[in-house]
Amino acid sequence: MSTIIFTQPSGTTDAITVEEGTSLMRAAVTNGVEGIVGECGGQAMCATCHVYVRPEFAAALPEIADDEEEMLECTTAERTERSRLGCQIPATPELDGMVVDVPSDQV
Amino acid sequence: MSEGTFPRAVPDAAWVTIPDLHRDPFPIYQQMRREAPVHWVPAVNRYMVTSYTACHTIEQDAETFSADETDSLMKRSMGHSMLRKDDPEHKVDRDSYGSTLRPGTIKKHWNAIFEANNEKYLSELQAKGPGADFVWDYAAPYAAENLRLICGFHNATQEDMQRWSQTMIDGTGNYADDAEVWAKSAQSSAEVDAAIDEMLPLLAENPDHSLLSGLASMPIPLEAIRANLKMTIGGGLNEPRDVLATTVWALLNHPEQLASVEEDPRRYAVAFEESVRWVAPIGMYPRETTRDTVLEGVQLPRGARLGVVIGAANRDPDVFEDPEAFNIHRVKKPHLSFGGGAHFCAGTWVARAQVAQVALPSVFKRLPGLRLDPADPAVDAGWVFRGMTKMPVRWN
Ligand code: FES
Repeated sequence: MSTIIFTQPSGTTDAITVEEGTSLMRAAVTNGVEGIVGECGGQAMCATCHVYVRPEFAAALPEIADDEEEMLECTTAERTERSRLGCQIPATPELDGMVVDVPSDQV
Repeated sequence: MSEGTFPRAVPDAAWVTIPDLHRDPFPIYQQMRREAPVHWVPAVNRYMVTSYTACHTIEQDAETFSADETDSLMKRSMGHSMLRKDDPEHKVDRDSYGSTLRPGTIKKHWNAIFEANNEKYLSELQAKGPGADFVWDYAAPYAAENLRLICGFHNATQEDMQRWSQTMIDGTGNYADDAEVWAKSAQSSAEVDAAIDEMLPLLAENPDHSLLSGLASMPIPLEAIRANLKMTIGGGLNEPRDVLATTVWALLNHPEQLASVEEDPRRYAVAFEESVRWVAPIGMYPRETTRDTVLEGVQLPRGARLGVVIGAANRDPDVFEDPEAFNIHRVKKPHLSFGGGAHFCAGTWVARAQVAQVALPSVFKRLPGLRLDPADPAVDAGWVFRGMTKMPVRWN
């Protein structure tokens, strides 16, 4: 179990407990976190699970694969060096306490 | 929609008729949604699900709501494609399509082909002159030719693609069990099989970026290749054709929104998304319950045949403000037109590229003063599939 903190553009936060191996997208959608849509169910096909990861956790994340890379080019909100797809990040103990920012627009 | 403590019985909508749905389903959906999120509709022999939340719930829960429908007309018409499979079987087929339809390949490879095809068919429309039909003289051949190359049917024409697509789709909707419809659908199905058999060895030797080329080197059963390609011929043609014509129709009927789009061409993508929300090209698709369940407070038995009415969900006033209006300036919310979960439309990015990026901007640039023909009105029709069936246009 790790706790992931989703921060909305308005500043409100949701701290979600995520089972190991469950993706950030799945956890957010199951818990009704606003702004994470996850249209394609996690196939790296829709870019509606876009999140910005705070830099201090960047090193603990999995590498960006080709599928994720091309989909990050298609996000509605601006892509930055902190952009990731929530569906491509499974929760691990190293990510406990990670803060991610939800973008202003997802669709 | 309020949920009581006890699940309610499904209301009966015996007043709904197929001809009324075909002409204009939206007032019917409004009335249904006001009463309940799910109705039993004798005329279509299904439970029709019309609320956004209920449709969304179904998309996210494939264990309760299976895509593998019993006695599916689509299976009879096209074979057992990925669209009627659940994971993990579905995923094997879906993965076999590889990167052909993904944004990277579209950018590197398909966009240039879409541009060339657009040039060709827009020129043909121009050559026909004012009064030509936007749907049949441009949108349909353009979408068909793009799809022909994406599939890898180098041994067929765009006209073949249109005939195959229409006759097999007519089969999937052949609720009346019309023998002639089945015969035409079977004829097309046999032609597609023959075309695939011919192309697979050729593409194995001379690979390209097409779906068939990718499949030629994969250990996928021929039966699955055939069914999936037929499903793709069905879904890959009507949908871009219809969204292209519907978006142009909507913009021509809303000159102030057209002006706003022409001022900032990035808004073509917004107009495209609003158009697929407003009139979902695939208005309804089937699911079947695998157990007794309660959907949005309504009791459903195991084995219930459902129609997930995306065309209604996308106009649910609980989610979209003033939902019946076409409005590119509305607050964006996720629509359900591309489906969701495992079955999220594999052709989404291809549709966006060929319609929103390539076709729409050039249509308005190349045809100044584009307008609907006042003497010969356009016609929109359908509910399982909805689009323009006739759209004569004029320009300066
Ligand atoms: S859920 Fe679709 S890309 Fe992540």
